[in-house]
Amino acid sequence: MSERRPFHRLQPRHWWAHKPYRAYTVRELSGVAVAVYGAILLVGLFCLWRGQDAYAVYRRILASDWSFVVHAVLLAAVLWHVVTWFEILPKTMPKLILRGRQLPQRQVTAMGLLIALVCSAALLVVVVAIGAMS
Amino acid sequence: MRPINHTAPKRSAAPVFWLLFGAGGMLSALFGPALIILTGFMIPHGWGLPATFGDFPHVLAFARHPLGKLVVLAVIALFVWHGAERMFLTLKDMRAGKPRLLRLVTYGVAGLLTLVTASLLLAIGF
Repeated sequence: MSERRPFHRLQPRHWWAHKPYRAYTVRELSGVAVAVYGAILLVGLFCLWRGQDAYAVYRRILASDWSFVVHAVLLAAVLWHVVTWFEILPKTMPKLILRGRQLPQRQVTAMGLLIALVCSAALLVVVVAIGAMS
Repeated sequence: MRPINHTAPKRSAAPVFWLLFGAGGMLSALFGPALIILTGFMIPHGWGLPATFGDFPHVLAFARHPLGKLVVLAVIALFVWHGAERMFLTLKDMRAGKPRLLRLVTYGVAGLLTLVTASLLLAIGF
Protein backbone atom coordinates (compact mmCIF):
# COMPACT_ATOMS: atom_id res chain seq x y z
CA MET A 1 0.00 0.00 0.00
CA SER A 2 1.46 3.29 -1.02
CA GLU A 3 1.47 5.97 1.56
CA ARG A 4 0.27 9.11 -0.18
CA ARG A 5 0.88 12.23 1.80
CA PRO A 6 0.02 15.25 -0.37
CA PHE A 7 1.22 18.66 0.71
CA HIS A 8 -1.48 20.90 2.14
CA ARG A 9 -0.57 24.52 2.34
CA LEU A 10 -1.63 25.97 5.65
CA GLN A 11 -4.28 28.61 5.41
CA PRO A 12 -5.17 30.99 8.25
CA ARG A 13 -8.62 30.38 9.68
CA HIS A 14 -10.18 33.68 8.68
CA TRP A 15 -8.19 34.18 5.49
CA TRP A 16 -11.18 35.85 3.82
CA ALA A 17 -11.08 38.70 6.39
CA HIS A 18 -7.45 39.57 5.62
CA LYS A 19 -5.67 41.17 2.73
CA PRO A 20 -5.63 40.50 -0.18
CA TYR A 21 -8.86 38.48 0.04
CA ARG A 22 -10.76 41.07 2.07
CA ALA A 23 -11.60 43.20 -0.98
CA TYR A 24 -13.04 40.11 -2.65
CA THR A 25 -15.15 39.26 0.42
CA VAL A 26 -16.45 42.84 0.68
CA ARG A 27 -17.38 42.81 -3.00
CA GLU A 28 -19.30 39.56 -2.68
CA LEU A 29 -21.12 40.68 0.47
CA SER A 30 -22.08 43.98 -1.19
CA GLY A 31 -24.00 41.76 -3.61
CA VAL A 32 -25.75 40.13 -0.65
CA ALA A 33 -26.90 43.62 0.43
CA VAL A 34 -28.90 43.69 -2.81
CA ALA A 35 -30.84 40.64 -1.58
CA VAL A 36 -31.36 42.21 1.88
CA TYR A 37 -32.97 45.22 0.20
CA GLY A 38 -35.16 42.86 -1.85
CA ALA A 39 -36.25 41.20 1.40
CA ILE A 40 -37.21 44.61 2.90
CA LEU A 41 -39.42 45.22 -0.14
CA LEU A 42 -40.92 41.74 0.27
CA VAL A 43 -41.89 42.55 3.88
CA GLY A 44 -43.63 45.66 2.51
CA LEU A 45 -45.50 43.54 -0.03
CA PHE A 46 -46.56 41.17 2.75
CA CYS A 47 -47.87 44.09 4.86
CA LEU A 48 -49.68 45.46 1.82
CA TRP A 49 -51.41 42.11 1.42
CA ARG A 50 -52.31 41.95 5.14
CA GLY A 51 -54.17 45.25 4.89
CA GLN A 52 -54.22 48.89 5.89
CA ASP A 53 -53.16 48.45 9.55
CA ALA A 54 -50.16 46.25 8.79
CA TYR A 55 -49.11 48.59 6.01
CA ALA A 56 -49.32 51.58 8.39
CA VAL A 57 -46.93 49.78 10.78
CA TYR A 58 -44.54 49.10 7.88
CA ARG A 59 -44.59 52.78 6.89
CA ARG A 60 -43.91 53.85 10.49
CA ILE A 61 -40.92 51.52 10.69
CA LEU A 62 -39.57 52.80 7.34
CA ALA A 63 -39.82 56.39 8.63
CA SER A 64 -37.84 55.55 11.81
CA ASP A 65 -34.20 56.47 12.50
CA TRP A 66 -33.24 52.79 12.49
CA SER A 67 -34.57 52.35 8.99
CA PHE A 68 -32.69 55.49 7.91
CA VAL A 69 -29.39 54.03 9.13
CA VAL A 70 -30.11 50.61 7.59
CA HIS A 71 -30.95 52.16 4.22
CA ALA A 72 -27.86 54.39 4.35
CA VAL A 73 -25.69 51.29 4.88
CA LEU A 74 -27.55 49.43 2.13
CA LEU A 75 -27.12 52.39 -0.24
CA ALA A 76 -23.37 52.47 0.41
CA ALA A 77 -23.11 48.71 -0.15
CA VAL A 78 -25.14 48.80 -3.35
CA LEU A 79 -23.09 51.73 -4.68
CA TRP A 80 -19.99 49.59 -4.11
CA HIS A 81 -21.77 46.74 -5.89
CA VAL A 82 -22.40 49.09 -8.86
CA VAL A 83 -18.72 50.10 -9.07
CA THR A 84 -17.37 46.55 -8.76
CA TRP A 85 -20.02 45.14 -11.10
CA PHE A 86 -18.85 47.36 -13.94
CA GLU A 87 -15.19 46.70 -13.07
CA ILE A 88 -15.83 42.97 -13.58
CA LEU A 89 -17.99 43.43 -16.70
CA PRO A 90 -15.12 43.99 -19.22
CA LYS A 91 -13.34 40.90 -17.85
CA THR A 92 -16.34 38.62 -18.34
CA MET A 93 -17.83 39.87 -21.60
CA PRO A 94 -16.46 39.24 -25.12
CA LYS A 95 -13.83 41.69 -26.31
CA LEU A 96 -15.26 44.83 -27.88
CA ILE A 97 -13.41 45.60 -31.11
CA LEU A 98 -13.94 49.09 -32.51
CA ARG A 99 -12.29 49.93 -35.86
CA GLY A 100 -9.81 47.08 -35.44
CA ARG A 101 -8.84 48.11 -31.92
CA GLN A 102 -9.87 46.51 -28.67
CA LEU A 103 -11.80 48.88 -26.44
CA PRO A 104 -9.77 49.29 -23.19
CA GLN A 105 -11.34 47.72 -20.08
CA ARG A 106 -11.38 51.06 -18.28
CA GLN A 107 -13.54 52.57 -21.02
CA VAL A 108 -16.05 49.70 -20.78
CA THR A 109 -16.22 50.26 -16.99
CA ALA A 110 -16.66 54.02 -17.43
CA MET A 111 -19.41 53.47 -20.00
CA GLY A 112 -21.24 51.05 -17.70
CA LEU A 113 -21.04 53.47 -14.77
CA LEU A 114 -22.35 56.29 -16.97
CA ILE A 115 -25.30 54.15 -18.14
CA ALA A 116 -26.05 53.20 -14.50
CA LEU A 117 -25.98 56.86 -13.47
CA VAL A 118 -28.36 57.78 -16.31
CA CYS A 119 -30.75 54.92 -15.47
CA SER A 120 -30.92 55.73 -11.74
CA ALA A 121 -31.23 59.49 -12.34
CA ALA A 122 -33.93 58.92 -14.97
CA LEU A 123 -35.95 56.75 -12.59
CA LEU A 124 -35.79 59.40 -9.86
CA VAL A 125 -36.75 62.19 -12.30
CA VAL A 126 -39.71 60.17 -13.67
CA VAL A 127 -41.00 59.33 -10.17
CA VAL A 128 -40.68 62.95 -8.96
CA ALA A 129 -42.44 64.13 -12.15
CA ILE A 130 -45.29 61.63 -11.58
CA GLY A 131 -45.53 62.83 -7.98
CA ALA A 132 -45.67 66.47 -9.05
CA MET A 133 -48.40 65.77 -11.60
CA SER A 134 -50.64 63.78 -9.25
CA MET B 1 -9.28 0.67 -27.56
CA ARG B 2 -12.27 1.78 -25.61
CA PRO B 3 -15.60 2.22 -27.39
CA ILE B 4 -16.72 5.75 -28.03
CA ASN B 5 -19.25 6.92 -25.50
CA HIS B 6 -22.34 7.92 -27.45
CA THR B 7 -24.49 9.06 -24.53
CA ALA B 8 -24.92 12.81 -24.33
CA PRO B 9 -23.04 14.52 -21.49
CA LYS B 10 -25.18 15.36 -18.50
CA ARG B 11 -26.55 18.86 -18.70
CA SER B 12 -25.75 21.21 -15.85
CA ALA B 13 -28.32 23.47 -14.21
CA ALA B 14 -25.64 26.04 -13.38
CA PRO B 15 -26.35 28.37 -16.36
CA VAL B 16 -29.91 28.94 -15.08
CA PHE B 17 -28.67 30.19 -11.71
CA TRP B 18 -25.87 32.11 -13.38
CA LEU B 19 -28.46 33.87 -15.58
CA LEU B 20 -30.57 34.83 -12.55
CA PHE B 21 -27.42 36.06 -10.79
CA GLY B 22 -26.42 38.17 -13.80
CA ALA B 23 -29.89 39.58 -14.35
CA GLY B 24 -30.18 40.57 -10.68
CA GLY B 25 -26.69 42.06 -10.70
CA MET B 26 -27.39 44.16 -13.77
CA LEU B 27 -30.86 45.30 -12.65
CA SER B 28 -29.53 46.32 -9.22
CA ALA B 29 -26.48 48.02 -10.76
CA LEU B 30 -28.67 50.11 -13.06
CA PHE B 31 -31.61 50.96 -10.78
CA GLY B 32 -30.65 49.80 -7.26
CA PRO B 33 -29.34 53.12 -5.89
CA ALA B 34 -32.39 55.03 -7.16
CA LEU B 35 -34.76 52.41 -5.72
CA ILE B 36 -33.13 52.60 -2.28
CA ILE B 37 -33.21 56.41 -2.34
CA LEU B 38 -36.90 56.24 -3.31
CA THR B 39 -38.26 53.61 -0.92
CA GLY B 40 -35.75 54.20 1.88
CA PHE B 41 -35.58 57.99 2.03
CA MET B 42 -37.84 59.96 -0.33
CA ILE B 43 -41.15 58.11 0.15
CA PRO B 44 -40.92 57.53 3.96
CA HIS B 45 -39.73 61.09 4.68
CA GLY B 46 -41.72 62.85 1.97
CA TRP B 47 -38.67 64.31 0.25
CA GLY B 48 -39.69 65.76 -3.10
CA LEU B 49 -42.84 63.68 -3.25
CA PRO B 50 -46.44 64.29 -2.13
CA ALA B 51 -47.36 62.66 1.21
CA THR B 52 -49.97 60.49 -0.55
CA PHE B 53 -47.34 58.93 -2.84
CA GLY B 54 -46.57 55.94 -0.65
CA ASP B 55 -49.96 55.55 1.02
CA PHE B 56 -52.01 52.35 1.04
CA PRO B 57 -54.43 53.03 -1.88
CA HIS B 58 -51.69 54.19 -4.26
CA VAL B 59 -49.25 51.38 -3.51
CA LEU B 60 -52.08 48.83 -3.64
CA ALA B 61 -53.11 50.17 -7.05
CA PHE B 62 -49.49 49.82 -8.21
CA ALA B 63 -49.29 46.23 -6.95
CA ARG B 64 -52.63 45.40 -8.65
CA HIS B 65 -51.56 46.66 -12.07
CA PRO B 66 -50.03 43.89 -14.24
CA LEU B 67 -47.00 46.04 -15.06
CA GLY B 68 -46.58 46.96 -11.39
CA LYS B 69 -46.68 43.26 -10.50
CA LEU B 70 -44.01 42.53 -13.10
CA VAL B 71 -41.76 45.28 -11.68
CA VAL B 72 -42.20 44.09 -8.08
CA LEU B 73 -41.58 40.44 -9.00
CA ALA B 74 -38.52 41.24 -11.12
CA VAL B 75 -36.95 43.50 -8.49
CA ILE B 76 -37.53 41.27 -5.45
CA ALA B 77 -36.88 37.87 -7.09
CA LEU B 78 -33.82 38.85 -9.14
CA PHE B 79 -32.26 40.81 -6.25
CA VAL B 80 -32.69 37.82 -3.96
CA TRP B 81 -31.26 35.37 -6.54
CA HIS B 82 -28.27 37.64 -7.02
CA GLY B 83 -27.56 37.75 -3.30
CA ALA B 84 -28.10 33.99 -2.97
CA GLU B 85 -25.50 33.18 -5.63
CA ARG B 86 -22.95 35.50 -3.99
CA MET B 87 -23.70 34.12 -0.53
CA PHE B 88 -23.29 30.57 -1.87
CA LEU B 89 -19.93 31.33 -3.52
CA THR B 90 -18.65 33.15 -0.41
CA LEU B 91 -19.70 30.34 1.95
CA LYS B 92 -18.22 27.76 -0.43
CA ASP B 93 -14.90 29.63 -0.42
CA MET B 94 -15.03 29.86 3.38
CA ARG B 95 -15.66 26.09 3.42
CA ALA B 96 -18.64 26.61 5.64
CA GLY B 97 -20.10 23.28 4.52
CA LYS B 98 -20.47 20.85 1.65
CA PRO B 99 -21.23 22.70 -1.61
CA ARG B 100 -24.36 20.61 -2.13
CA LEU B 101 -25.76 21.67 1.25
CA LEU B 102 -24.76 25.32 0.80
CA ARG B 103 -26.40 25.36 -2.62
CA LEU B 104 -29.56 23.81 -1.19
CA VAL B 105 -29.77 26.43 1.58
CA THR B 106 -28.95 29.58 -0.46
CA TYR B 107 -30.87 28.64 -3.61
CA GLY B 108 -33.60 27.23 -1.41
CA VAL B 109 -34.13 30.55 0.39
CA ALA B 110 -34.12 32.41 -2.93
CA GLY B 111 -36.60 29.98 -4.47
CA LEU B 112 -38.87 30.17 -1.44
CA LEU B 113 -38.84 33.99 -1.39
CA THR B 114 -39.60 34.03 -5.13
CA LEU B 115 -42.60 31.75 -4.56
CA VAL B 116 -43.81 33.91 -1.65
CA THR B 117 -43.49 37.09 -3.77
CA ALA B 118 -45.42 35.56 -6.67
CA SER B 119 -48.12 34.21 -4.32
CA LEU B 120 -48.56 37.56 -2.56
CA LEU B 121 -48.82 39.37 -5.89
CA LEU B 122 -51.53 36.92 -6.98
CA ALA B 123 -53.33 37.14 -3.61
CA ILE B 124 -53.38 40.94 -3.79
CA GLY B 125 -55.52 40.59 -6.90
CA PHE B 126 -55.88 42.56 -10.12
